[in-house]
Amino acid sequence: MREMSRRNLLKFAAAAGLAGTTAACSGVGGGSGGGGGGGGTDGGGSATLRYAWWGNNVRQENYTNALNAFMDDHPEITIETEFAEYTAFQERMTTQMAAQNVPDLFWVPSAQVMTYYANGLFHDLEGVSTLDLDDYSEADIDGLRLDGVHNTMALGIFVPVLRYNETMAQADGVGLPEGEAWTWDGFTEFAIDYAANNPNGNWAVNYGPDHDLTLEAWLRQRGELLWTEDGRIGFTADGIASWLDFWENLRVNGAAPSISEQDGVGADWALIGERVLSYFGNSNHIIDDAQFFPEATFKLRNMPVAADATPGHPYLYTPRLAVYGEIDEGSLEAAGTLLNYSVNNTETLRITGLTMGAPVNPRVAQEVTEFASPDEQQMLDAVAHDRALERNPRYEAPAGSSTWRTILTRVSEQVALEQSTTIDAATAMIDELQAAIDRAA
Amino acid sequence: MATATAPNRRKSRLNRQGRAAHVFMLPWLVGLIGITALPTLASLYLAFTDYNILSTPEFIGIANFERMLADDRFWQSVRVTLTYVLVSVPLQLAFALLLALILDRGMRGLTFYRSAFYLPSLLGSSVAVAVLWRELFGHAGLINQALALVGIEGSSWLQNPQTALGTLVILNVWTFGSPMVIFLAGLRQIPEELYESARVDGASVLRQFGSITVPLLTPIIFFNLILQTIGAFQAFTQAHVVSGGSGGPVDSTLFYTLYIYQQGFTAFDMGYASALAWVLLVFIGAMTALHFLLSKYWVFYGD
Repeated sequence: MREMSRRNLLKFAAAAGLAGTTAACSGVGGGSGGGGGGGGTDGGGSATLRYAWWGNNVRQENYTNALNAFMDDHPEITIETEFAEYTAFQERMTTQMAAQNVPDLFWVPSAQVMTYYANGLFHDLEGVSTLDLDDYSEADIDGLRLDGVHNTMALGIFVPVLRYNETMAQADGVGLPEGEAWTWDGFTEFAIDYAANNPNGNWAVNYGPDHDLTLEAWLRQRGELLWTEDGRIGFTADGIASWLDFWENLRVNGAAPSISEQDGVGADWALIGERVLSYFGNSNHIIDDAQFFPEATFKLRNMPVAADATPGHPYLYTPRLAVYGEIDEGSLEAAGTLLNYSVNNTETLRITGLTMGAPVNPRVAQEVTEFASPDEQQMLDAVAHDRALERNPRYEAPAGSSTWRTILTRVSEQVALEQSTTIDAATAMIDELQAAIDRAA
Repeated sequence: MATATAPNRRKSRLNRQGRAAHVFMLPWLVGLIGITALPTLASLYLAFTDYNILSTPEFIGIANFERMLADDRFWQSVRVTLTYVLVSVPLQLAFALLLALILDRGMRGLTFYRSAFYLPSLLGSSVAVAVLWRELFGHAGLINQALALVGIEGSSWLQNPQTALGTLVILNVWTFGSPMVIFLAGLRQIPEELYESARVDGASVLRQFGSITVPLLTPIIFFNLILQTIGAFQAFTQAHVVSGGSGGPVDSTLFYTLYIYQQGFTAFDMGYASALAWVLLVFIGAMTALHFLLSKYWVFYGD
């Protein structure tokens, strides 16, 4: 083999070094890239869009299949997928925002709606001709507006529910309180009695003071809000303390497990699912959680209602999908097409399933009943129940409040471990949260 | 003329080699400057700003550092981290030295044992092992199942603030393989004649260990101490996975790096996170300097 001369070696090294440098410099890009990418369209009208979402591996597979089906129908549009678990998704978005390299379409984590909005991450959807809003009522769209601007679409609707194991209830010969007895007090009485008397040592309910949707239901029944319209904390220390008291009463009386028994304040469903009669959570969770115990039948109940509950307390939670504010304008119509496919197409939901809740689009909500599984039908019924009720407005979490659930978890731990009284924990939570909101203001 | 040409030729060759060396260093240099040096300098600037990642940093002087003084969670993270370093590093080094001494006796299958004991060092800071730890120390985990066999009913080790940090200390001690291999190499460097002379003089095994092994191993102990101390201050993955990123229960596993991460990537408070990071950097630097300063009193280099 002929030896390479030093001159040639240096030339080669220089070329290799330059190539490496170039590669390093270009490594951050990829795709059409919201602000930093290499343009999402070409002269022929084709577009490349980055689509980011979160979930478990089943959801990843289902949505990937749906997006592949979209590309089959729209060969001029290429989608690059960016998927992560919920927490990792938020962390990656943070980094992408700092680098101005945000995906073209992305799901919006609930605690970040106003933070993202305040920093211009959402594109105004008015006038996007490929997005069809004909099926929606004006109220549906108004519910999505932020400061009067329609800049996100809803992926679905969640409502807070109590999920219960009907198979277990029948085996134990018990039934949840009905009608006017379906109050928080009625449930507590039933839960303590059930835990004390069921033959298998089951708990009546998970220990769940950190669950956001059920807390919000509790507060709204008391006439409080999670957040006010002008971006302030909408609840009082008494409101949070009463919520923590509700859970402590259940735990101390043996109706709910300790945080040791359920592996944290947020219960590990796989661990305790076979030993709890009921579970407070989101309406959509039944779809995935029921799969853990296929031999059991699960049913949903809408929230218990306090006898003196504030009128208009029911609410709908809508996870959002947005188009990046700095998207290449040439790709906007393609993004609208994909947005339309995501929220207005029944066939999409046939592929993805209904893990992101009941469709907001009334036509789609009607059409999905044809193929919804029994668990999905439960979820649709629970949402339809609350959707039909009178509802006062609901406001998104203000900028700076992104850690509110972490704080709630921590103070719940303090209470459950008996390191703090409920009122002290609630006061500490509000103080810490207020300081964070003030800093962000 | 010929005598003048030779040095010139050598100088020219050295220049060419120097240029070649720089060219070969270029990719590393680009990485060092682009990925380490510039972000480090940027974070120094950001430490003096109010920066939420999305908007322009606003200079606020030393406000971030003042904020730390009144930040209870900052002090809690300092307490947790110092406890972790002070407990886990000596334990890990002692365990590594003990195993190295056993393996140094020339037992059969030494290569296998050395590899087997080294393996946790490769896995210890991985997410998979942290997840495994959750399964081991959870309420229905293997540890409690084993305790149940002898009639002890345990609760979750990870959900008890009294024991949660202890499980992470055990995880760190378990990764003793890396210092063990270094100790093993150090033990091989100690001349056998010293032990023979000591044995002739009637020195016991313990006396040999105290008067020969430890003094001659002090440079290796010092090296391991520095490495493991710095590593322990930077521990992150285990606490993040085991506590689900919260540092719970009730902040009992809130490592300093985890707190930096929470501030930067969850609370979007990157200015404060940068200030926290710089405090850690300075503290680790000071601790290392202190180690070097004190080393002259106990490290024996044989010169």
